[in-house]
Amino acid sequence: MAKVFNWQLNREVEYPYESHKVKKQFAVVMNLNKCIDCQTCTVACKTTWTPGRGQEYMLWNNVETKPHGFYPIGWDVHLMEKLEEQNVQQIWENGQYKGKTIIEAAPEGERVLGWMPDDLDWINPNIGEDETSEPVDIGTIIEHFPNPIWMFYLPRICNHCSYPACLAACPRKAIYKREEDGIVLIDAERCEGYQECVKACPYKKSMFNQVVGISQKCIGCFPKVEQGLQPQCVTTCIGRIRLMGFINPPNEVVQDNPIDYLVHIKKVALPLYPQTGLQPNVYYIPPITVPLNYLRQMFGPGADHAVEVYKRMREGNEPELQALLHLFGSTQFIPHKFKVDGNYVIGYDEKGNELVRVPIVEPVQFRPMHDERYDVVRQDIT
Amino acid sequence: MGLSRREFIKTGSLLLAGLSSPSFAQRIFEPAISVENPLLYYPNRTWENFYRDIYNAESSFVFLCNPNDTHGCLLNAYVKNGVITRIEPTYKYGLATDLYGTKVSHRWEPRCCNKGLALVRRFYGDRRVKGPFVRKGYYEWYKAGFPRDEKTGEPPERYFQRGKDKWLRVSWDEVSDIIAKSILNIAQTYSGEEGKRRLENQGHYTKEQLEVMEGAGTRTLKFRGSMPFLAVLRYVGIYRMANMMALVDQYIRNVPPEKAKGGTGWDNYSEHTDLPPGHPMVTGQQTVDFDLALWEHSKLVILWGMNPYGTKMPDSHWLTEAQMKGTKVVVISNDFMASARTADKVIIVRTGTDGALALGLSYVIMKNKWYKEKYVKSFTDMPLLVRMDNGKILRARDIIKGYIPKTLSKTLVYKPGQSLPPNFKQDKQLIPENIRIQDIDDYVVWDLKTNSPKIITRDDVGEDFLKLNIDPALEGSMKIKTTDEKEIEVKPLFQVYLELLEESYTPETVEKITGVPAKAIVDLAKEISENAGNTKIAGGMGVNQYLHGDLTQRAMFLLAALTDNVGKVSGNIGSYAGNYRLALFNGIPQWNFEDPFNIELDPTKPAKVKPYWRGESQHYWADEDTPLYVGNTLITGKTHIPVPTKFIWFVNNNSGLGNQKWAYNVIMNQLPKTECIINNDWWWTLTCEYSDIVLGVDAWHENRFWDMTGSVTNPFIHVWPRTQHRRYFDTKNDLETYALVAQKLSLLTGDKRFYDYWKFVFDGKPEVYLQRIIDASSTLRGYKIEEIAKKCEQGIPSLIMTRSYPKFVGYEHTIENLPWYTKSGRLEFYREEDEFINAGENLPVYREPVDATRYQPNVIVAKPHPLMRPKKPIDYGISDEEALKITKYRQARNVIITADELLKTKHPLIDSFGATHIIHTPKFRHTAHSATGDVDVVALLFGPYGDFYRHDKRMPYITEAYIEINMEDLKKLGINDGDYVYVDADPQDRPFIGWQKRPEDYEVARALVRVRGSYSTPKGVGKIWFNMYGSSHGSVKGTKINRNGLAKNPETGYQSFYRRGSQQSVTRGWLKPTLMTDSLVRKNLIGRDTGKGFMLDVHCPVGAPREAFGKITKAENGGLGNKGLWRPLEIGLRPQNPRESFKKYLKAMYVKIV
Repeated sequence: MAKVFNWQLNREVEYPYESHKVKKQFAVVMNLNKCIDCQTCTVACKTTWTPGRGQEYMLWNNVETKPHGFYPIGWDVHLMEKLEEQNVQQIWENGQYKGKTIIEAAPEGERVLGWMPDDLDWINPNIGEDETSEPVDIGTIIEHFPNPIWMFYLPRICNHCSYPACLAACPRKAIYKREEDGIVLIDAERCEGYQECVKACPYKKSMFNQVVGISQKCIGCFPKVEQGLQPQCVTTCIGRIRLMGFINPPNEVVQDNPIDYLVHIKKVALPLYPQTGLQPNVYYIPPITVPLNYLRQMFGPGADHAVEVYKRMREGNEPELQALLHLFGSTQFIPHKFKVDGNYVIGYDEKGNELVRVPIVEPVQFRPMHDERYDVVRQDIT
Repeated sequence: MGLSRREFIKTGSLLLAGLSSPSFAQRIFEPAISVENPLLYYPNRTWENFYRDIYNAESSFVFLCNPNDTHGCLLNAYVKNGVITRIEPTYKYGLATDLYGTKVSHRWEPRCCNKGLALVRRFYGDRRVKGPFVRKGYYEWYKAGFPRDEKTGEPPERYFQRGKDKWLRVSWDEVSDIIAKSILNIAQTYSGEEGKRRLENQGHYTKEQLEVMEGAGTRTLKFRGSMPFLAVLRYVGIYRMANMMALVDQYIRNVPPEKAKGGTGWDNYSEHTDLPPGHPMVTGQQTVDFDLALWEHSKLVILWGMNPYGTKMPDSHWLTEAQMKGTKVVVISNDFMASARTADKVIIVRTGTDGALALGLSYVIMKNKWYKEKYVKSFTDMPLLVRMDNGKILRARDIIKGYIPKTLSKTLVYKPGQSLPPNFKQDKQLIPENIRIQDIDDYVVWDLKTNSPKIITRDDVGEDFLKLNIDPALEGSMKIKTTDEKEIEVKPLFQVYLELLEESYTPETVEKITGVPAKAIVDLAKEISENAGNTKIAGGMGVNQYLHGDLTQRAMFLLAALTDNVGKVSGNIGSYAGNYRLALFNGIPQWNFEDPFNIELDPTKPAKVKPYWRGESQHYWADEDTPLYVGNTLITGKTHIPVPTKFIWFVNNNSGLGNQKWAYNVIMNQLPKTECIINNDWWWTLTCEYSDIVLGVDAWHENRFWDMTGSVTNPFIHVWPRTQHRRYFDTKNDLETYALVAQKLSLLTGDKRFYDYWKFVFDGKPEVYLQRIIDASSTLRGYKIEEIAKKCEQGIPSLIMTRSYPKFVGYEHTIENLPWYTKSGRLEFYREEDEFINAGENLPVYREPVDATRYQPNVIVAKPHPLMRPKKPIDYGISDEEALKITKYRQARNVIITADELLKTKHPLIDSFGATHIIHTPKFRHTAHSATGDVDVVALLFGPYGDFYRHDKRMPYITEAYIEINMEDLKKLGINDGDYVYVDADPQDRPFIGWQKRPEDYEVARALVRVRGSYSTPKGVGKIWFNMYGSSHGSVKGTKINRNGLAKNPETGYQSFYRRGSQQSVTRGWLKPTLMTDSLVRKNLIGRDTGKGFMLDVHCPVGAPREAFGKITKAENGGLGNKGLWRPLEIGLRPQNPRESFKKYLKAMYVKIV
């Protein structure tokens, strides 16, 4: 076992391979305060990549309602159960994770602490949709944060982890991380369908195609990323909750890189179940309505700070962050840099060319009633 | 042996057919490759081209996705090998502009949704209607020369086995002949005295119905497009067809043009129960609303029974982005729905009691004087004086003998026959002289400065009223002498409202009615008044779609008006349901009303307009095809009376029949009275199942002609792009179907005008008609169709030119001091007309839901007030008991009881039927109405039961319908999460009248669904989503004879989401008396002219699809094949039965932070 540094856990972790720094690391930020569960991302992904035989059940991108929704059923309850079975204490101390990761806690003879879902676990992919944590009744009033009765939507894709469990578990070494963008791929030619990756991935984002006999997963839309475009699930996100870019390690932060700004500088976007130890690269701005203990369980000890910052922003005290969040969804290209200019936020491509400029408040404009040029009376009620 | 991975890669396609699972042992292993560290280096990456090949398209084109969801999105279709492989947003909305150079931003991106992207699997789906089809029995009737009963004119029953018959594919030529001959035959049969006698002999229709036909059989021909605003040529074209029927009438009855009658045009907006009928009562015109992009300009947004996350998805970001900037969002709903997820405050209210809540809030604001006095005095009816003797609003003529109303400057009062400016040049309201004199006159306020009455006109609103230097009294009681020397008591309406609210709707009383704590009511009232002028109230179907939606809207408007929240950028009120506002294209008469006797064939000239068709509410047809009689009293107003329905032509319409309220009563009892039903569609819907003729038309990506649409929630106008994509099937554009029938009518009658009426369709240039509409529309004039069409073909829409970007209703009034379209020119909360007084609804009161309540339904909950004088059941010749129990009569039962008394009452079905649950049927994120939700990749996610592989063969489809109820109710009913249940409502008329004697039909109509126990729904409330396709005779047959058990009609391929019945099994039609008046003064649908009584989509019945009270009975176990528990429940991952680890997870006990 090699020792690699995991900044999310603030310590070295065990991993079967030596660490290697990729040139760029794919990362997506998802603002859960804006997700409306429209499932457009899911359908965009499915119609683009998994419409075929053997892929019917596959949702490389899915959206589930927390806390009662899962795909596959119970995936994160299983993760908690498994760690407990191995007597892992999930303890964070001063921002450092003291418990074992799923690699460190792997049982004898196995590379990763994993579990293999039953075929039936994959059905009912939208179970728990819109279900609250506690009962409502006539006369229920919910008016304080965090809400005593709550739910939220959690969109999930492959995390394109820095230390992927799927890659670690593959006996064929058919899973690799791309040098140029850090996207993790299963080589469809070399995969033998052993399904070790399906078992290993704690997020259950590797799936088996019974027809072709290989495992498949989210490819980070690399054919788009190569063309400077954000992935399908991002460019079709009508809730405008997603932004894809490239993340730098914490010691190489670029101030005007939108991802670095959100993850490292404002620390408002957090990894999903970082205690897996895989250093996942999808970062979530946690929902401010949800009790903090649940958010800490899911997103780690940074939850309190992230919620605090987001609330502060709503009060008008984080203008730069507020502006940047309006860039989400405004362009289909990958914004490498951003700038705030009065009522506008601007995104730039890798070469510094302007991609898009959007107002933080959309200006209202009026037209006169009588238009002599076109000989018409403009009206609202017609 | 399966496909090798090499072949898999080589095919370049994931659509693999006929494969079994490969055997790994037989695999030929790849040459050994050594990979040291896959984090560091991977040797051979050429395989990656597999995915690049999938992504790279050969070509792309833009089409418009435009179901009735109010959005309309230009989408990019990517093509490979001549087939669309995926769909994406265009990202070019930020480039939209108008003639004035108005700029919008890229914050409009991306425009799309789950349904639109899934069209790729619908365009080539197995339910595409691949050409013209005729039902076998109907075809035989046509071939036999339309034989009929001599006495009644009815066709023999054997030809009319709808829903059970076979279908024949015919040619377009033959189908046009069938339709043209059907039109002539039916119109002939029911024309003149002989036609009248036949209808009398049928013994079903009332004499008023036969009178309004005026001898014209063409009136029995009903035409109903999809929402016309969605495609003005294709969907309004069917109303042009209705106008053309005047030529048929002339042919049959040999009448001169001025006496010829066209067909009947049915409503859309009101038919969908989307019209908020209280809006015309308060504002005199159809609806007030605002583009949702304006949310971020307010500090407070109230989502009242509106769930934008489910129904306004591409615009929801404007709300969450407003929240990022500090806007607070309050959700008022009868369950915890999606939009409550991010709200700052959620209030769960008892179903259907929203009106009482709005009255309670208004009371707190009035009592504490938190209202905006200036607005109240200058823009509302509150300072107007009402007569306490007769309940009418005091007029100048009441107190001044021989009073002549003042001359108005903001309104053009016109005499009969006077020529009026066209719609696009109307800078004033138009009011006919008789309404000006008889209905309006001038009004009276009590001036506190002089302590005397003062006359005001409808011009005196806003700043212009304030200039009069009158300080009108809002409170108190005055004595005034009338012209007949009587001294009468008058009061300002504010005083009357305050008295009513003080007695009946204090927070404490409202708490009893709504369940919302009094303190929360006071808190919210305070919050709204603190944000006076800065609050947006967005109402949705959750408040519209109950029978007393109008009263709720009147109360909500009162609240908005008190707090100066009408008609401003920062404050407004809106009702959101359906893309209704065809009026925004007010040049539309150029198209649907072109005079068929005087057709303009010069493409450069405008058409000559003459309306021949008659508007009518479809609700009458859906409600036994008769007007409403209660006892021996006709309640329906004269202007509303429906004509018997013998022929229906639907265009792209599943709501008119298949998903109609009380659908199974319509199917079992109404359809047999109708002789011909045609439906144009590109997807085989439930309406197709019960039609006689189905015309397969082009899908949206196959559109051959430009067409035009706008939206009520965004500022864009879209031209439907013309496509180069091939037509895969023998389909036509909707316009061509009309033109072909017209051509046949020319042949059959020898009258060339039928053909000429569609000349530019035959010429392949229907854009001539579009340009005529544009040139005559106040919001479009100046645009050239070619220019805006070309932009749309690149993915760029244009902007509609109302008075502002983004647009909103009310600016012209609140800011520019124009009167509203009411009689007084002010927002009117009081309704003085007799019909309202008779119903006890002259004051804005609260009424219980007509069915959706556990208390006595439909009672007026209030303490008596001297102005409340409703008619009683006995006045209609029926007993109180009959009025309560017979659903048809109940809607006119006007009984007043107090809130305390109400709580002691019961819905009669509790004792007689064991009913336990209100059942409501809201709309969900997975479909727009019924459209597109049945595409597999969308359906998979629709609800908790999605399973592509259908492990449980009882499933009707790859997902299925369910009723959601509270977890405690599950326990009480002895039902488990995931079980199958029957859902039954009032047995006297649901699922259809007479079900007891028709077991085979009852099997089709009785709702059988799964049950989901959840925490999101309060006790006593059950929710079935509105959008799923319901059962047909064919789909039920499919469940029995299909080997896979699918609820799919073996004959037609129709696919139901229900094994039995549908959500419409529990609903019925309702005809609310105050929506059928002859006296309400309101703006016409299109243009600024004013009329009285019935107006299509403005003042007519709206039904009440959310009204049901019923019971839930276990049918089967939820476990696979009816054995044991539903698996997720069994393994302890459902809230009903969570396993220990799940409990620990929910309490977040796994992680410790120190």
